[in-house]
Amino acid sequence: MNRIILRALLPLILMANAQLSLQGQTHLAKGTVLDTDGSPMIGVAVSVVGTGVGDVTDIDGHFSVKAAPGATIRFEFLGYENSEVKYNGADTDLTIQMNPSFETLADVVVVGYGAVKKSDLTGSVASVKMDALADITAPSVDGLLQGRAAGLQVINSSQDPGAGSTIRIRGNSSINGSNSPLVVVNGFPLGDAGALTQINTADIASIEVLKDASASAIYGSRGANGVILVTTKQADEGRTNVIVKHQTIISQLSDPIDIWYDPMLMAQVTNEEMVNAGLNPLYIGQSIGGIYYPSLQEIQSGAWSNTDWAKLCLRTPITNSTTVSLNSATSRSSLNANLNYYNDQGIYKKDEYGRFNANIGYSYKILKNLTLSTYNVFSISDRNVMNGLEYGRNPLWPVYNEDGSYYLAGPTDFGHPLVRLRDFKDHIKVREILASASLDWEIIKGLKLHTQFDYRYKTSVEDLYEARTISQDAHDNNGIAKINNSEYNELLSETYLTWNQTFAKIHNISLMAGHSYTWNLSRGLYTTARGFVNDILGNENMNASDPALRQIYNDGYAESKLLSFYGRANYSLMDRYLLTFTMRADGSTKFGKNNKWGYFPSGAISWKMHKEDWMRAAPWISEWKWRVSYGISGNQGINPYQTLDRYGMEKFWYNNNWTTVIGPGFEEGRTGANDRYFVWGGIMNPDLKWETTAQTDAGLDLAFLDSRLRLTADFYYKETYNLLREKYLPLSSSYDKIWVNDGRVLNTGFELTLGGDIISTRDWHFSAELIWSMNRNKVMNLGDAISSGLSQDELNGFYYEVTGPAIAMFNQNASILAEGKPMNIFYGYQVNGIIQEDENPGFIDPAGLLDRPGELKYVDQDGDYAITSRDRVIIGDPNPDFTASLNLRVSWKQLSLSVFLFGVYGNDVLYNGYTYSPRVKAKRWTPDTPSNLFPSLNSIRQDHLSDYFIQDGSFLRIQNVNLAYDWQIGKKWLKSIRFFAAIDNLYTFTRFDGYDPEVGLDGIYWGGYPKFRKYSFGIDIQF
Amino acid sequence: MKQQIYLLLLTGVLLNACSLDEKPYGFYSGDNFYQSDEDAESGLMYAYNALNYLEYLRGIWYVGDIPTDNMYPKSDEPGDIHMLENWTVTSNTELTHYYYKYCYIGINRANAVIKKISGGNFTPAVRNRVVGEAHFLRAWNYFNLVRTFGICPITTEPISSLEQTTAPLAGSILQIYELIINDCLKAEELLQVKRDFGRTDKVAAEALLAKVYLHLASSKHYQAPGYKNLPIDAEEYYAKAALYARKVVNDYPDVYGFDNNLRHIYDVYAPDGPEHIFIMATDRSGTHEGMYTKIPLQFLPNNSSVPIFIKYPDGSLQQGNGNGWGVFLINDDFVEGAYLATDKRRTELLHRSIFDQNGNEILPSPVRGYFTSKYVDPDFIGERTSARPYLIRWSDIALVLAEAAGPTEGYPLVNRIRGRAGIGDLTPGMDLETFRTAVINERKLELAFEGNRLFDLRRTAKVTSTVQEASRLSEEDAAFYPIPQREVDLNPNVPNSQNNF
Repeated sequence: MNRIILRALLPLILMANAQLSLQGQTHLAKGTVLDTDGSPMIGVAVSVVGTGVGDVTDIDGHFSVKAAPGATIRFEFLGYENSEVKYNGADTDLTIQMNPSFETLADVVVVGYGAVKKSDLTGSVASVKMDALADITAPSVDGLLQGRAAGLQVINSSQDPGAGSTIRIRGNSSINGSNSPLVVVNGFPLGDAGALTQINTADIASIEVLKDASASAIYGSRGANGVILVTTKQADEGRTNVIVKHQTIISQLSDPIDIWYDPMLMAQVTNEEMVNAGLNPLYIGQSIGGIYYPSLQEIQSGAWSNTDWAKLCLRTPITNSTTVSLNSATSRSSLNANLNYYNDQGIYKKDEYGRFNANIGYSYKILKNLTLSTYNVFSISDRNVMNGLEYGRNPLWPVYNEDGSYYLAGPTDFGHPLVRLRDFKDHIKVREILASASLDWEIIKGLKLHTQFDYRYKTSVEDLYEARTISQDAHDNNGIAKINNSEYNELLSETYLTWNQTFAKIHNISLMAGHSYTWNLSRGLYTTARGFVNDILGNENMNASDPALRQIYNDGYAESKLLSFYGRANYSLMDRYLLTFTMRADGSTKFGKNNKWGYFPSGAISWKMHKEDWMRAAPWISEWKWRVSYGISGNQGINPYQTLDRYGMEKFWYNNNWTTVIGPGFEEGRTGANDRYFVWGGIMNPDLKWETTAQTDAGLDLAFLDSRLRLTADFYYKETYNLLREKYLPLSSSYDKIWVNDGRVLNTGFELTLGGDIISTRDWHFSAELIWSMNRNKVMNLGDAISSGLSQDELNGFYYEVTGPAIAMFNQNASILAEGKPMNIFYGYQVNGIIQEDENPGFIDPAGLLDRPGELKYVDQDGDYAITSRDRVIIGDPNPDFTASLNLRVSWKQLSLSVFLFGVYGNDVLYNGYTYSPRVKAKRWTPDTPSNLFPSLNSIRQDHLSDYFIQDGSFLRIQNVNLAYDWQIGKKWLKSIRFFAAIDNLYTFTRFDGYDPEVGLDGIYWGGYPKFRKYSFGIDIQF
Repeated sequence: MKQQIYLLLLTGVLLNACSLDEKPYGFYSGDNFYQSDEDAESGLMYAYNALNYLEYLRGIWYVGDIPTDNMYPKSDEPGDIHMLENWTVTSNTELTHYYYKYCYIGINRANAVIKKISGGNFTPAVRNRVVGEAHFLRAWNYFNLVRTFGICPITTEPISSLEQTTAPLAGSILQIYELIINDCLKAEELLQVKRDFGRTDKVAAEALLAKVYLHLASSKHYQAPGYKNLPIDAEEYYAKAALYARKVVNDYPDVYGFDNNLRHIYDVYAPDGPEHIFIMATDRSGTHEGMYTKIPLQFLPNNSSVPIFIKYPDGSLQQGNGNGWGVFLINDDFVEGAYLATDKRRTELLHRSIFDQNGNEILPSPVRGYFTSKYVDPDFIGERTSARPYLIRWSDIALVLAEAAGPTEGYPLVNRIRGRAGIGDLTPGMDLETFRTAVINERKLELAFEGNRLFDLRRTAKVTSTVQEASRLSEEDAAFYPIPQREVDLNPNVPNSQNNF
């Protein structure tokens, strides 16, 4: 372990462990704390047990505390074994030597509704070490976790200010329900992971990732996607700390933007693609639609500008984060308060996210066995959206007219970035309160009661105005104004009892039983107005609009309740054989009335083989533990009201008025050309229930050489069934679809964590941790082919349905869910290079367009000499073969360096818009410069989804390099200062042609702008 | 100590016992609707509203006229409309799929009203009217279904569970007709005579009943496939058709009757004209299609969005949409062959040229074929119009009476309609059979482009001999369209061996 870094974090990590007792006369106990090599240890926590009196050793290892003779003085330092001495009342200096413990096997790990010693875990739980994350600033905690725990997949595909992440534990298992793990903060389930913005990352003490069913099934119908438990810091007894932390990040694009830098080349290429399409060239000095396109000669003459639009649109974004925290604790009460201001600039000018978070934790010991605690968060965030500025705008177009006004290419040109910067408004304000109060009562020794009440309120207001210069719609309707409000309420009451007892010294039993009740309510009101006299007020006064053009929607009301009972039994025999059973019963309003209650059991056994007598012969083995678990958890996945019949509303012309008419059948969506046909839903299914995940996990924990070398391996088999799906109904039912439970998805995988403290001397430390995860995902069943509306592949016969977004370039969806295949695979044509002059393409296109030289050479799979939909095959899989990360830390005295590498291997990425990229266009096929890689240009070509657009998305990234210096001052008023500098995304090794291959789970690359390389600088002062 | 533990556990369990029932919020549901008289009316009009969806509304022509000798789609119209025109409809044809679907949407909405309002606590007068009209609507939708698809699944209960979604197939075509007839009789019993634009009354129920009996009687009489072996007596059913048609034609002269002015029937401002026993409620002030219609666009030629004018023989001009799609084109043979040159139904309702506001013909003419002015809204707003389908007309029922009752009672009725069209009387002295043929021919002229023609051809077993595109088929093949594939695939009660072309 890196002692130097730990020293800085020491006060944050120690456990308050005091008991009240009366004290007699006190003396001043003094002394020095030494390391094993005899050097003084700074920052060791010294406390007199049971008094709340304490001190911290100074730079020479000295301490002094008031203590009564006979009192026990305790010394604590993370990474070292605790040590205690009995104070005899003498005035002589004490000398205490502390021994390092390489792996803190005695660490306590938070699990659902309790905590266990890490060595007693029977399930698969990954603890994320917060010290490694302390210097990384991210808008939400979840984003920090990338590569930090095996089996945890974190994708940061958006670089918008304040953007969250996509988080998966052990793969995707649901098609229509959520796939995000549940996030629980201090026992309060906050919902889907990915946008945990309200918790200040600097305030987090630990993060645990519950992966297998034994660990997550205690969360029942919310546990199927795994659970992330976040625990915030608590103050340490006897001390008061003030910490000021500041960090500044400067971001740079890691790749040049792919736009036209040479207007001449752009014009030539544009002319060529129009001529190839049989059209007249564009740049010949002509006006089309009011826009003048100069000829190549005119461009050559230099009379036309070469505007650097990127410079006008983009900036060097700077992010600042400042935290001030105060923590203080006495023997009876403890306070932990944090203020954080975070400001994140986007690359687009005016695109910005600001947030202020305040949280206060306070606990008070009312009686010696009764503690009241409260934890409160107040969060305000402010997002100014200004994205999509056209940095790829035609460089020939000047910024200004000669009279100084903005140059617009024509009456329908709404793309001028400076006009948008001036006239577009989109502002989202979010306020959030989390309030939590809990009571811990130790009724008798070994029996504890915990009761907790939590409340969460979140409200969001979006102000939007499009002036008539912004879009055709706004222009035609004289401005569009919107005010959108939404709010979310949640109330949770939770009570559980734990009881722990050891019998005959070898039987240890611990039992937990509890109950919880959750109530959720969300609703929204959305208003739109058009038809303003002018744009002066924007959306400030919606009444200034045309009354006939106002719209109000108030959908989005959803209320749900969840009533739960749960329990856990742990039994250990001789501290060698461990058994865990958990059970949860969830009753949810969302479930159909025939399935109101769901039951989620799990069981695990574990064998600490190293405790066996016959293992004593191998003292170099510190731990050898086997684990096996099985359990069932659920996914609520359903929106409220799916199990009720829902009536539709229409307007009917009666008595010369529009009458609202109501009855069975509810418009659930549209289908067909121009969305002209209604899709009728609203039929109830009272049998609807949760999606169920059954997971088996087998794991092994190994540690060698006093735990200097550690290995954890897990294999899992996770099957999700009763998938929530929409099933088609016979037409005579008058409904199109009904929600049912049907279909299965399988995830299997293997995870490995290998860590070692390779060098550990007085001054030098070097540690490394390798995390490796692989997941295999397979759609087993999509329900009955006909009633589920499945299509069939004509060549290979498998059934599939399309999924994901439609891709405009191909005029179709790219991804399918196919039985027997991984989720979200790409389905399309195969391409074998480019058709060359005089080459037989192997097929005939009746229109004579696609079989010409320079076109993609599609593979005629069924040999009918034509390219039809029957020639489509599976052309790519966006699911990676494995992901891996390597964390290296080296330190010398108080200087430390860490390097974090993250890699993904074997996934395919669909490069949407590849052939539209200026970089690719410049390398086009022409008769004179034939290419087998890039097709000829053609402005009216209908692109077909083919493996030409699929690229290898594997990458290895030097994700983070961090250099830090801890300056231990050890003065009463100034304890330490830490300086650090870091680079994020230093370099990425990849064969992918776009900016960055880190895209969403569906593997579709949407372009955007290059990934940032972030330079950050920070200072952390402890008073 | 154990006691304490039990006590504490119990306390925890008892805390917060709560109900897990879900209560609807912000939307109507079977739990909170159909409580008051207003709800009953609103629920009923929701059932009417099923007719307004464009899939069903346009089906009036897709099914009733396009496959016949009077109309054809423009050649470059995308979609399945050509399958109807060319008689190549399969179980996968989109337009028949949607037509079928909306028949059942209308049926389910009517079923919900019948079930919920019949038993609830409502003012008796409101209940009778609402339930009566719901029976009418159910009959209306089943009548469309059975004439288009033949034997099909029957549902008489609102569908609210997965188990109910696979309805049983009717045992015979007669079972469906019995349901329709019983519904009409129930409607007739419950309803009063009350003209109310967009809704129906006792007279509409009698009119529908007359049409249904005539369809059965003539189908049996002409040995139409699907009907020829039915154990019914054609004469008895002709008599029943005549009985109800006679009531409609004779009994309510103050409310419904003959309109002497031909163009007034099709005046968008006269939906309350004496002819209109059932007319669809729409208005151009609506915000989406269904509230308003785009029917004129289907017929009118495209004049690059410049409003057009239709010129009538009296020189008057009527404005129409200039952004028409001209999808429904009327056969030249039909116009020039079937109508006499002086027939006002040709001279006043069928056109081949368009004019500007000054009455000058627009040249070169963008008109691609004859179009009708039965559906014109001069005060259209963009694509929004108030043009309405004419669902039941008095003249239709008068011709039903003429056909069912024969020459004695029929001559004056047919001649009155011919007189309005400015043409002479039918040749007198025809025998019953010849007279009926003449009446059906009169229906072809009078009710053209109003969604009737296909059914008249089918019930007289004359599809293949009349429609050139169907001439390669047998009358059996042309008698019904195949049940849509989705129904066949998902409803185990529907066999896959439905008649295909």
